This record gives sequence, C-alpha cells and structure tokens, in this order.
Amino acid sequence: MTTLERNPSSVWPWIVMAVAGLVTFVAAMSVSPDAVQGQLSRIMYVHVPSAWLAYLSFGVTMFASAMYLWKRDLAWDRRAHSSAEIGVFFTGLAISLGMIWGKSTWGVWWTWDARLTLTAIMFFVYLGYLALRRTTDDLDARAKRAAVMGVLAVIQVPLVHFSVIWWQTLHQPPSIIKPEGPDMDPSMVVTLLISVLSFTVMYAAMMYKRIDLARIEDAVLIAEQTNTGPAAGEAVVAPDLSGGS
Amino acid sequence: MRKYARFIVPAGVIVIALGFLMVNLSSTLVYFNTPAELQARDASDARLRLGGRVVPGSVVEADTTVVFQVEDCDTSVQVIHTGVPPQLFQEGIGVVVEGAWTGEAFESDTMLVKHDEEYRVDDEDYDKVDHTCSES
Repeated sequence: MTTLERNPSSVWPWIVMAVAGLVTFVAAMSVSPDAVQGQLSRIMYVHVPSAWLAYLSFGVTMFASAMYLWKRDLAWDRRAHSSAEIGVFFTGLAISLGMIWGKSTWGVWWTWDARLTLTAIMFFVYLGYLALRRTTDDLDARAKRAAVMGVLAVIQVPLVHFSVIWWQTLHQPPSIIKPEGPDMDPSMVVTLLISVLSFTVMYAAMMYKRIDLARIEDAVLIAEQTNTGPAAGEAVVAPDLSGGS
Repeated sequence: MRKYARFIVPAGVIVIALGFLMVNLSSTLVYFNTPAELQARDASDARLRLGGRVVPGSVVEADTTVVFQVEDCDTSVQVIHTGVPPQLFQEGIGVVVEGAWTGEAFESDTMLVKHDEEYRVDDEDYDKVDHTCSES
C-alpha cells in the first residue's frame, strides 16, 4: 500500500502548471479592459477562476471524504486532504485579489457584506479542517475525523455562491451564469472561460503532485510507527559506563 | 447503528444551528436598504446603509457636499453626502452610502461605489440600467 506506483519526481505536472499560468496571463493581458474600471478589471481573470477552484476543491474534498467513509481506503483520505489544501490556497488568493480590487473600486479593503463574510468563514473553516488533521498521528482516526468534517463543511460552498443573490450585498452578482445570459463583453467572456479552464487544468496537475506528496508523508508516518530499532537510531550509541581500564 | 449515530447526531446539531443562524441573521446579512425600504422607516439617528443607482442629471456638487438622487426600480431618495466621493463616482453608477435617514433625505458621510455585474469594453455599450429591477 505504501509502495510508490508512480514516479513522484515526474516533471510534467510542473510544466502543465506553468503553461496553464502562462495561458491565463497572456489571455488576461491581451483582452481590452472594462470601460469603467480600466486596467483593474484584469484582476477578474485570476479572481474568478480562483473562486471557482475553491468551490471545485471543496466539492472534491466532500466527494473523497464520503468515499473514504464508505470504502475506508486511505487513498481517498489523501485525495480529500490534497484538494482541501489547494482549496484553502485559492480561497486566500481570491480574497486577497478581491481586496485589492475592492480598495480601488468600492473604496475599502474590506466590509462585512454577506459574500465577503461567508467567504472568510469558509476560509477559516477549511483552515480548521487542515488543523484537525494534525490532532493525531493515527492514520485511520485522522482520516475518519477529517472525512466527517470534509463532508459537512461543503455546505458553505452554495452559501457563499448564492449569498449575492439571496441577500443585498456590495459584491456584484455573477456576470456570466445568470438567467438572462452573460452581461459581459463577448471578448471578456471568452477570456474568462480560458482562464477558468487553465486554472482547472492547473488544479489537476497540483492534485497529482500533492497526492504523491501525501503518499510519501503517509509512508514516512507508517515507517516511524513501525520502527522497532533503537529509539535514537543507529547513529547514537549508548554510553559505556562500565569504567574500563 | 452506533457508528451512524455518531455521524448523524453532530450533523443534525450543526444543520439546526446553521438554520437558526441563517433565519435570525437574514436581516443583518442584507448589506443595505433600497430606497423603498428606507422610506418605509421612521426618521432616526440610527446608522443605516442605502444602496441604489445615482440618477443621471441629479448630481449637484458644492464645496463640501454632493447632493444627488439614489433610485431603485420603484422610487428615489435624496442623498446629501458630506465629503469627497470616490473616484469612480458618476451619474448612473451604483453606490452604497452610510449615514442617517431624516425622513426627507439621507445624510451620509461614507460612500462606496458598487460595481454591478456589467462588463463592457466601450463606455457607449453600457446599457445604464439598474439590474436589480430585472428581477421584480
């Protein structure tokens, strides 16, 4: 179970991530800016896909957690963990970029509207998920605790997404996915779709790398726990107290 | 069965707590009042937020104040804003102002520009309508 079927040092995921990042960068920089916001509107091409990856990651964490609870296979636990970690990163990125955009557009870095508040809560709850995973070294207990939280915490994803529709918020409602069709210049819609697609590919490559790492981490933990050699290892020799001549 | 109870009980508690929070917080989760909601209130010193669209042609700038109308689909309210409005402030744009309702006008000292979901390359292409109206 702890053997490495795949080569953990494979380079191609890094290349995929770099290419996806470059595609997003070129697309975001070549499209015309919004007439009112100006250059600031380019933040959207990273902010929106980051928020999408947060949703996707936490959705995958929920699925993998449920699969763990059903199958009790630690491979599902590693997938849930990896996805949650990536999700926390992209939630943080979406919040940070949103703050930069908000300072220039709204005039404030932060305000307690429903969308912002619920996103911040989601960020901290998933940080809590990662913290929960460090409460024990017992792989099965850790996986079980995390899986329960991984399933329950996903309720926040629809709350965050629909907050802008359910309550009057300062944050604008979705521009593209709305009943009347996109309320956005077609060139921007295409650019946004390119960036969302690139980020999704990036997510897949990151998952591949992170799961490999999780497998190594688990293998190290198991090796430590089954270690029957001297407590301090071979390098340390017990002092000879017999006196001698 | 015990195995499932350990999962279902905390899940139930969380769902009930969350539902309770949502129902009770719903009014506070609303970030601002619409002009119609504001007019339904009595004048008071309470600090409120008013959101809507700056009526084109209504903006009058003086030394330290800006006076304009904020509208939604139904009605409009006069805003007397003290201070320098944000850079993006202009006629037809969405704003959220913070201040007190005197019964006749809204006296604000803080203004946020609310960007709506419209994105256009050309300023001419902006359809300059209040999107919140399309729902009702």
